[in-house]
Amino acid sequence: MATLGQAGDTKPIIKVRGLHKYFGPLHVIKGVDLEVTPGEVVVIIGPSGGGKSTFLRCLNLLEEPSAGTIEVDDLEVNAAESLRMQRRRIRELRQKAGMVFQAFNLFPHMTTLGNIIEGPVTVKKLPKEQAIAKAEELLEWIGLSEKRDEFPSRLSGGQQQRVAIARALSMEPKIMLFDEPTSALDPELIGEVVEVMERLANEGMTMVVVTHEIHFARDVSDRVILMADGVWAEIGPPSQLFTNPKEERTRRFLAHIL
Amino acid sequence: MNSSDDSVFESGPKPVKLLLILVAITVGLSLLYAVQHFLGGPIRLAVVSEILDLVLSPGGSLVAAGANDGTVRLFDIQNDWAMTTLSGHSAPVISVALDREGSTLVSVGRDGEIRLWDVASGQAQRVLDAGGPVNGAALAADGSVLAAVREDGAVVLFDLASGVMLRSIGPNENTKLAVALSSDGTLVAADDGAGVRIWDVQTGDSVQALTAYCEDETKTTLEECDEAEKDWLGHEQEVTALAFSPDGDVLASGSADTTITFWDPETGEVKWEAGGHWSEVTRLVFSEDGEAMLSGGKDSKVRSWRLPGGKGTAYYEGHLSTVNGVAFGAQPDTILTAGDDGTVRLWETANQKVVHIAWSRSGLQSMWGGVLRNWMLLSGLLGLVALWALWTARPSGHLLLLVLYVLGPVVVLGLPLLEALTYPVSVGVQLQIAWPLIALAAWYGVVAVTAMREPVADYYDAPKGLSLSERLMAGRRTIKMRAGVFTTAVWFLVLVILFSVLRRFNLDIAFMGHFLSFVMQGAGMTVFVSAVSILLAVVLALLGALGRLSKSSIANGISGFYISLIRGTPLLVQVYIWYLGLPRVNIVLQPVTAGILALGVNYGAYMTEIFRAGIQAIGKGQYEAAEALGMSQAQLFRRIVLPQAFRIVIPPIGNQFIAMMKDSSLVSLMSVWELSYRAQKVGRQYFRSLETLLIAAGFYWGLTVVFQSLQGQLERYMARSERR
Repeated sequence: MATLGQAGDTKPIIKVRGLHKYFGPLHVIKGVDLEVTPGEVVVIIGPSGGGKSTFLRCLNLLEEPSAGTIEVDDLEVNAAESLRMQRRRIRELRQKAGMVFQAFNLFPHMTTLGNIIEGPVTVKKLPKEQAIAKAEELLEWIGLSEKRDEFPSRLSGGQQQRVAIARALSMEPKIMLFDEPTSALDPELIGEVVEVMERLANEGMTMVVVTHEIHFARDVSDRVILMADGVWAEIGPPSQLFTNPKEERTRRFLAHIL
Repeated sequence: MNSSDDSVFESGPKPVKLLLILVAITVGLSLLYAVQHFLGGPIRLAVVSEILDLVLSPGGSLVAAGANDGTVRLFDIQNDWAMTTLSGHSAPVISVALDREGSTLVSVGRDGEIRLWDVASGQAQRVLDAGGPVNGAALAADGSVLAAVREDGAVVLFDLASGVMLRSIGPNENTKLAVALSSDGTLVAADDGAGVRIWDVQTGDSVQALTAYCEDETKTTLEECDEAEKDWLGHEQEVTALAFSPDGDVLASGSADTTITFWDPETGEVKWEAGGHWSEVTRLVFSEDGEAMLSGGKDSKVRSWRLPGGKGTAYYEGHLSTVNGVAFGAQPDTILTAGDDGTVRLWETANQKVVHIAWSRSGLQSMWGGVLRNWMLLSGLLGLVALWALWTARPSGHLLLLVLYVLGPVVVLGLPLLEALTYPVSVGVQLQIAWPLIALAAWYGVVAVTAMREPVADYYDAPKGLSLSERLMAGRRTIKMRAGVFTTAVWFLVLVILFSVLRRFNLDIAFMGHFLSFVMQGAGMTVFVSAVSILLAVVLALLGALGRLSKSSIANGISGFYISLIRGTPLLVQVYIWYLGLPRVNIVLQPVTAGILALGVNYGAYMTEIFRAGIQAIGKGQYEAAEALGMSQAQLFRRIVLPQAFRIVIPPIGNQFIAMMKDSSLVSLMSVWELSYRAQKVGRQYFRSLETLLIAAGFYWGLTVVFQSLQGQLERYMARSERR
């Protein structure tokens, strides 16, 4: 998989054009474009209220874009058309885009295993035995095989987030979206989640990550985007953006968090 | 726990503390019991023998009673009811009779021995043998002929003057126990299943058969007659009592079906019918002028009837058990009764009050009652002294307490229990007498079990070797245990008070015991109706909630209208509308179905709001997570939202179910045979509505308690995913 991932080499797997988002009169995203090639890891950083999360949620249509097009793996959703008419396409797109939330959002009434097989069994209609076999592989991959039959309430935050990642991966997505995956975690639990994300990146998964975890951005990402006031303030490889930012806005932001 | 309690608990070693608690309870209950006794509480009775038949001498001075212990008791009314006992029979005396002069007494034992006694000397003159065990006997009014029904179904007739057996009729397989002779001794009647057969004494020929029949004579069975909505004339069950009127124009029969039928022995037609007992009729006696009749029953009631017409005139209530003997008194305004409670009672007919009670054995009654009462009072007061001594840590208190605690239960429980249990009445009546004692015994049991399960220990006297946290835990456990014991105690005392109040209602306990199972049979229907209704309500409520939350204005409007209409009208009215309205559009539902619809639709409307709240309580994150997996709205709802919403709504649904079980009593309006309907049906029939409704209330309470605990378990199961 790793061979897939050289920026610019191949056809982009994510294409965003002219994306706008309004919340009532509030203009949150002011026309941004983005192309991500397979295997690329893009990290979006920036101040709160800058529209990072909204942008990410627009990528799998959890938020309705007000204008613009979103294309994931050749599936295009256009805000100009009625979204109701594109419902089926949106569901397909979501299956290609795994999502990990800040608050984990595990299903509390299901065990760890139940959470992981829920998507494949209910949505993809995969036979249960097959889904379980696959889920057990994933559990081993995230290192939680022994928690197979526990309910989420008995897992730590870090464990829950790892299960949430496994749940997203169980759908065999083409891309993974991470919405501040470590923000709700105690500092000592961040490591285990970041470690899983790193391994995922190393295996060639295309990832778009909204995070405040600068180490992850610096060490793992291919590209870092600073988003502020609904636009890209600066885009660049981490080595350049963190050590030698071009924009004054970036410098100010970095001064705050480093 | 307040500080003064703690100081007492610390005043000595552990066993003394336990003792202290137990004694405090004993003292409290002793005083309660004594007070209740002074206020006319539990009935105390002596060991007595059941009286199986009663007869009054023609002059009215002598009462003869046949007793279960094989004796005949003679009471001399003029001489302060002085009792003489005639012994000789080796089996219960089931029938006694006196000749016209009152000089010869005839007594019949169950083993078939017939004894003729000289009343003046109390000596047996002659002994006859019926040839086998007998179940019933009767003497002609002129004293010439005696008839007895043998166990094998034969009716044997004796000429008493000569002591010769006149004839034996039968055996007839339907003849069991009831027999009567006409006053001139020419006709004998005996039970024949649900009918009566009459024979000529002289020839032994069957002259008439009185059988039940339908008003519409083409219908020959009870069921057909019921279907044709005609009256069934005569008895539905076996005849248990018979009597000829003095002029021989009327033959009265009482039956196990609780009714009395007046026949014309000439034609075999039913003249009049009467009901008024709630159990088997045991004895019928006509007055000498033939214008009145008395009946006694297993329901412990006596009724008087006016003839012609067979209309009831009065109830005599007071016997504690089956009435076996009834007689008109020597004075026209008195009657005499006797029964299984071992008493002969003299009543005034004007106000149906007892003017005298004679016991088949006397002497013990007053003594025991007094001893017990005084002991209770004394032990209560002594206990108070002992408590005070302990409180102020005087060593003499301990000894006093020990004596009290060991002797208290023996006297408190032993004597009256012995008395109650040896008292020859039905279990229901025994319970009535013994309930405070059984309650007390149960209390001792509760205390003993609790005390054994956990020693009374607290933070201070936890073993010194334990760590602080272990001592704290021990203290916490003790406090919890004590709180549990005291809560139980409070429940128990309130229950005792409640029962004491209920006893003051003068309830007919025997009646309640008799119809307990009849009412109880409705419990299944109550649970069934409630369970099916709640299922219907859950479905409706779910649809209603989805409608309310839906963006579609049609769905929203329909469910909004449904909720508004149903919540805006009384359930009672709705029940009537279902029951009366649907038949007008030719939809005739089973009452049970209509009841379930009425309850389900009503509760569905209320529960819609519960479901709506439950669904709305599911966080946005859950929707997003499910959507991000690509789930459709239907999948999201079925797999993610509903299972979680259900867990939230289980406790309120449980509440609704418990409320529903009680509201289900409203479907009794539609003649659904559930608890309340059965209670009302019996209650109205015998004018004992309070009794039967209390039974129903008890069952509702019991069901509620059971379902509350089931609900608790269900909730614990549903919450298993939240356990840490």
